[in-house]
Amino acid sequence: MNQFTFESKQKTILLAFMGLGALCLALSFFMDAQPAHARFWSNFLHNTVFFTGIAFVSLFVMTAFITAYAGWYVLFKRVWEAYAAFLIPGLVMLGVVILGLWTGWHHLYHWADPAEVAKDPILEHKSSFLNKNWYTLGTLIIVGAWIFFQRRLRSLSLAEDKLDSTGDFSLHRKMKVVAAAFLPIGAFTSAAMIWQWVMSVDAHWYSTLFAWYSTASWFVACLALTILTVVWLKSKGYLEQVSSEHLHDLGKYLFAFSIFWTYLWFSQFMLIWYANVGEETVYFNTRRHEFPVMFYGNLFINFLVPFFILMRNDTKRKYGTMVFTSLIVFFGHWWDYFLMIKPGVLETASHLGHGEDHGEAAGHGAEHLSEAASHGADHAGDVAHAAATHASDFVSGFTLPGLLEIGTMLGFLAFFLFFTLRQLEKASLLPKNDPYLEESKHHHVM
Amino acid sequence: MSAVVSPIREPLIEGGKTYHQITEDICSPTERTPSTAWVLAFIVSASFLALYVFSVAWTVWHGIGTWDLNRTIGWSWDITNFVWWVGIGHAGTLISAILLLFRQKWRTGVNRAAEAMTIFAVICAGQFPLIHMGRLWLGFFIFPYPNTRGPLWVNFNSPLLWDVFAISTYFTVSLLFWYTGLVPDFATVRDRATGLRRRIYNGLSFGWTGSAKHWQRWESLSLVLAGLATPLVLSVHTIVSFDFATSVIPGWHTTIFPPYFVAGAIFSGFAMVQTLMIITRKVLNLQQYITLQHIESMNKVILLTGTMVGVAYLTELFIAWYSGYIYEQFAFYNRVLGPYWWSYFGMMTCNVISPQIFWVKKFRRSIFITFFMSIFINIGMWFERFVIITSTLARDYLPSSWSYHYPTWVEVCLFLGTLGLFFTLYLIFVRVAPVIAVAEVKSILKSAGDQYIGENAKEHAHADSH
Repeated sequence: MNQFTFESKQKTILLAFMGLGALCLALSFFMDAQPAHARFWSNFLHNTVFFTGIAFVSLFVMTAFITAYAGWYVLFKRVWEAYAAFLIPGLVMLGVVILGLWTGWHHLYHWADPAEVAKDPILEHKSSFLNKNWYTLGTLIIVGAWIFFQRRLRSLSLAEDKLDSTGDFSLHRKMKVVAAAFLPIGAFTSAAMIWQWVMSVDAHWYSTLFAWYSTASWFVACLALTILTVVWLKSKGYLEQVSSEHLHDLGKYLFAFSIFWTYLWFSQFMLIWYANVGEETVYFNTRRHEFPVMFYGNLFINFLVPFFILMRNDTKRKYGTMVFTSLIVFFGHWWDYFLMIKPGVLETASHLGHGEDHGEAAGHGAEHLSEAASHGADHAGDVAHAAATHASDFVSGFTLPGLLEIGTMLGFLAFFLFFTLRQLEKASLLPKNDPYLEESKHHHVM
Repeated sequence: MSAVVSPIREPLIEGGKTYHQITEDICSPTERTPSTAWVLAFIVSASFLALYVFSVAWTVWHGIGTWDLNRTIGWSWDITNFVWWVGIGHAGTLISAILLLFRQKWRTGVNRAAEAMTIFAVICAGQFPLIHMGRLWLGFFIFPYPNTRGPLWVNFNSPLLWDVFAISTYFTVSLLFWYTGLVPDFATVRDRATGLRRRIYNGLSFGWTGSAKHWQRWESLSLVLAGLATPLVLSVHTIVSFDFATSVIPGWHTTIFPPYFVAGAIFSGFAMVQTLMIITRKVLNLQQYITLQHIESMNKVILLTGTMVGVAYLTELFIAWYSGYIYEQFAFYNRVLGPYWWSYFGMMTCNVISPQIFWVKKFRRSIFITFFMSIFINIGMWFERFVIITSTLARDYLPSSWSYHYPTWVEVCLFLGTLGLFFTLYLIFVRVAPVIAVAEVKSILKSAGDQYIGENAKEHAHADSH
């Protein structure tokens, strides 16, 4: 079967989960203990960024593969094409975040509040980058550009299906041009977007590696979701020719890039820990002391689990093991994004909710720390620690993902899958004129 | 490996070679009397090696005072050269391990020479930390072992010590990997030889007979070594970057350093592979094995890694501004517009701007441009390390201690001397070992030979592959 049909039962299930997500979002909106609905808005931002990122990264991987003459993935490339199409709803959801930024519905970003910026020299300095105009224009133009490339690539790929199969590779050559052009554009612009969407949640903090780190996280999540989707499609009788050989290679990617993610995690953490500069350590201090389960758990599920399970050859060829691992790792990278976004939003919220005095102690420790840093780095560590212990109460929806967070994530996931399956329905699952199709069909790893 | 080959792939072995011709073409250079070109090149390289020996002797005899180092600039050409050489030593293992995992067939044409080059480059790199000690005979102090020196012990917290472990591990694994690949090829050379030569190559090939068991063990070992070598490709330059990034020196302490150093290392490594391959293929007449397709693929890697390095340069600049940290901002201002602006300019031009010409297919496939660019990139990557190290140290927190580094003749000769060491080793290598992995090239003949795929493929051969 090369033509996917999106059955009504599947639609109902996915719609039910989307309903659950909407319900969880509504509940977190109305039952929010945080000022300015910080729980609701941080959940919204978290999932929006996470799923839009998966769409971006699948486009990026496809373009990289096309440029690198990869052949093995062609049998399931329609899955990535479908993922990439999610950039459009992603932009719409980012539009909601932007709208909230202008109307003051949310206080996700410390830098978005003119009163805060006025009394904070660091934010004032950054205001020529961290401001509403850049956030809005950057998102619209950059994600717009991604969508342009996504649509161009998709239409070429679909047009290729309609060719007579006489070895006409002109469309493939056009795809190569589009793909090669997108690579540097995607690489530069995704960094700028990650700084705005995610890193600026902790508006004082900075790390040069952050953009590459979060992109790696997206990529691993995308791979895990790809494995799940491919196996599900196979279980429904589609993608007959995708075999354990392809699964093995996807497994290798999952294994390798889980290690790569860990490598970037370690590089960022170790260098900041080692140098112990107050402005930088505050980020990890907060996470280690206030979010210990999230912090250490992140490493456990995103490194130890895939590392030990996928190290052997045979585990990467077994459908059950791969589904199990992919489920954990996919959740793991959602967890990673949770940890990137939530602590910063909580600090901004506590700043708002409890006024000046609380903010001094537990809020953005960095101002505090920059003073302390001049007295020596050790002292700065102490201050960060004191600030951290001061605010170590359990905050629902922040300290750990609660049921509402899980429900919201399932809702977004269902939305993502609903959209993906709609896209899959629009074309044959088999790109029958792709020049590498035969290679992909005869792919052998061992 | 898939026997079905996409019709748009180009052949990697030209000239309709048979297995026998492959053996003949690749092994014969080791059996001929050296050409005049080789002898001349060897004399020049050995002279530079002699210069190196002389400069080292001079340094050891008179002390490090013969270098233009002072309290402000404690590291300069020495560590610049060290990092430059280690970086060059990255391409070999990337090609042999990572490209093997990615099943890139074109790697078979260049892996042998690239791995050899890796080993020689690491040897050159290893010289500098030792000479920098001033007292070469105390070099063993870098190893932690129970000793009679009382409490004098290595500092396990220091990235410089991690470097010792990282580089010695890398060297060991690269050497094993290279040698493992050479074993069946040495046996091929042996089978063609007689007399003493035959006995020497028999020893070198460990009495390889080519039995199924030998091949099976050989493949298992190669796989294990590939697995070990892959993380090493990343770890070595990561740890080299830690030498700088763990400090609190503005311009050095930045989290992007590890992956950015690795990308830069691969970039410079491939540039050096291009330099060597373009000469080697011409001199040894191996154009049908190291084809334009190989050169184009390597140029793509160069374009990719050069652009990654470019993204990192711009990220650093942006975050320096964004951090709001005045010392960080000054460090980068100084880097771009300070007294060493020329080295930053050289770095940007050679590493980021000029490789962009490789977007054009015509340039990627031009031997002349590739050769020119490979030299250009090697210069640019030397400048990069110089920018990071010297221009940062020259202007520290205290303007009263600012300084400027003028290399002495000893420092210049040491650097030129390691080039002599490198090329001497490489020239010996091309005489004694097959510069292309004979067995591996043969393994791709049926799927990449031009009588089987591409425009000139014979019809019956094409039918065979299905």
